[in-house]
Amino acid sequence: MIIPEPLQLAIEEFSKFPGIGKKTAQRLALFLLRRHTDDVNRFIAAIEGLKENLHQCKTCYNITSSEYCEICSSPKRDHATLCVVEDASDIFAIERSNQFNGKYHVLGGVLSPLSGVGPESLKVKELLERLKSEDVHEVILALNPNTEGETTALYINKLLRGLPIKVTRIARGLPIGGDLEFSDEATIGRAVIGRVEYT
Amino acid sequence: MIVRSLSLRNFRIHQSSSIDFSDTLNFIVGGNGEGKTSLLEGLYFLCTTRNFKAAADNELLRFGEESYEVNGIFQDTTIRKARIYYSAADTKRHYLLDGKSITRATDVIGKFPVVLLTPEDHQLTQGGPADRRKFIDSVISQSNVFYLSTLIEYNRIIKQRSALLNLLREQRRHDYLVELDAWDELLVKTGTTIIEIRQQFIEEFNQFICEAYSHIMPGEEQPVILYPLLQGSTEIVTESIFAERLAKRREEEIRRAANLTGPHRDDFIFMVNNTALKTYGSQGQHKTFQTALRFAEFFYLKMKAGTTPIFLLDDVFGELDTKRSSRISEYLKTVGQAFITITDFSNYRFLAKSEHDATIMVSRGSIGI
Repeated sequence: MIIPEPLQLAIEEFSKFPGIGKKTAQRLALFLLRRHTDDVNRFIAAIEGLKENLHQCKTCYNITSSEYCEICSSPKRDHATLCVVEDASDIFAIERSNQFNGKYHVLGGVLSPLSGVGPESLKVKELLERLKSEDVHEVILALNPNTEGETTALYINKLLRGLPIKVTRIARGLPIGGDLEFSDEATIGRAVIGRVEYT
Repeated sequence: MIVRSLSLRNFRIHQSSSIDFSDTLNFIVGGNGEGKTSLLEGLYFLCTTRNFKAAADNELLRFGEESYEVNGIFQDTTIRKARIYYSAADTKRHYLLDGKSITRATDVIGKFPVVLLTPEDHQLTQGGPADRRKFIDSVISQSNVFYLSTLIEYNRIIKQRSALLNLLREQRRHDYLVELDAWDELLVKTGTTIIEIRQQFIEEFNQFICEAYSHIMPGEEQPVILYPLLQGSTEIVTESIFAERLAKRREEEIRRAANLTGPHRDDFIFMVNNTALKTYGSQGQHKTFQTALRFAEFFYLKMKAGTTPIFLLDDVFGELDTKRSSRISEYLKTVGQAFITITDFSNYRFLAKSEHDATIMVSRGSIGI
């Protein structure tokens, strides 16, 4: 059977989403088709609003609806600590933990020569500018513990060497509530290597 | 671990073959092309989810048939049934363990440890450094998952670094050079871990290779594996030494856009009586060393894994003299269960066969007595 073109078009657009295959895309498109026009219009407005009303914070490159994001403009935030993350979604994750009251800097990726991501595609220069103008005492590198995240952290560490700023790296190891016997060997291995002394 | 039985349907030349095995030695006897090795292939397939000849499914499928099946019953503390099923219609291969579908190879690998000795093992002693690294890495990985994950990470770094070196060859940008520093640091850290684990392994494995070799050539020859760290150092390689070496070759690395220093280029030197086997070894010494490597692998994995691997020997006696062959056959009595293909018993009168051992006659893809 030939699928009508408008439906086909919607399916193709949906299948560009991460984690969405052809079959799910078809389900989503048909779901929308069955919805009331008002519901669909609200959906359209929500999507339009994403691009129209949201942009990057001018300071930290977080997602915001105003010029500067909520965190950057908050007076309650500790200006002396800066947490460097790969993506804005990492900010959401760290914020949920309620353990950090400093500010952020979103790099917008990690170094990966194979995918053509070099230092120039990341907000590294912007980070250095910030460190010049702001009174930052500590930079926390909160990048993912994989090969590329690790290298990016090492790279930034090299750039900051010589500046009167403390550079730290978030710890790697066992998850809270996790069981040693059910953790994978790589995680346990890293946790043993990165063990800490009681002080 | 013991393999109780194997059945093959439309696999290679076998239309429908079922065999119950002995707990000790299983001699699989038959002429060339009659289907001996296919039995080993089936066993190896069940143990690793991979075909050791890297054959495609349509090559494994018996000519003109629609689907093949390999079934095995293993016994450790409990009975486990493994099954591989392939259908040409959906070109999919299914692995089932105790009736449950397995999608990740890592769920099977290690459960049924297996050691395979084939005529292709001549590559181990006569081939290039890559063949020897593959052997050493595979033995360590089977007993040390941390090593495997470190090796995977190291290979990822090598790929990324090579892409960056390519960029630098085109354009020498300062920020790229600083990025290279960062990759270097990770390369050195991960690479040093690999070198250290390999070094510890070789030290331990040398005792196993000596033991195995002495069973085949008692008292006459002394084998040893040398591991010249970072292409030639006998001193201990620390992160700072590695970093120093790397820095020295940076210009050359950029010019050639290639990773020139690190454990991915290391070789392992096989020595017999203080001379290099590769250059000065006789055919007999090569074959003895290859056989000893597999026996050493077997006993090493047995010690590390805590379960006895199954031992597959494909045409091992082909190029060996009677003296060595009869010693190997004596030595085999100590491994437990093993599967040995031979062409004809009359040529192998030296074989020490005991009453528990089984003889499986294979002809034109059928099993006789």
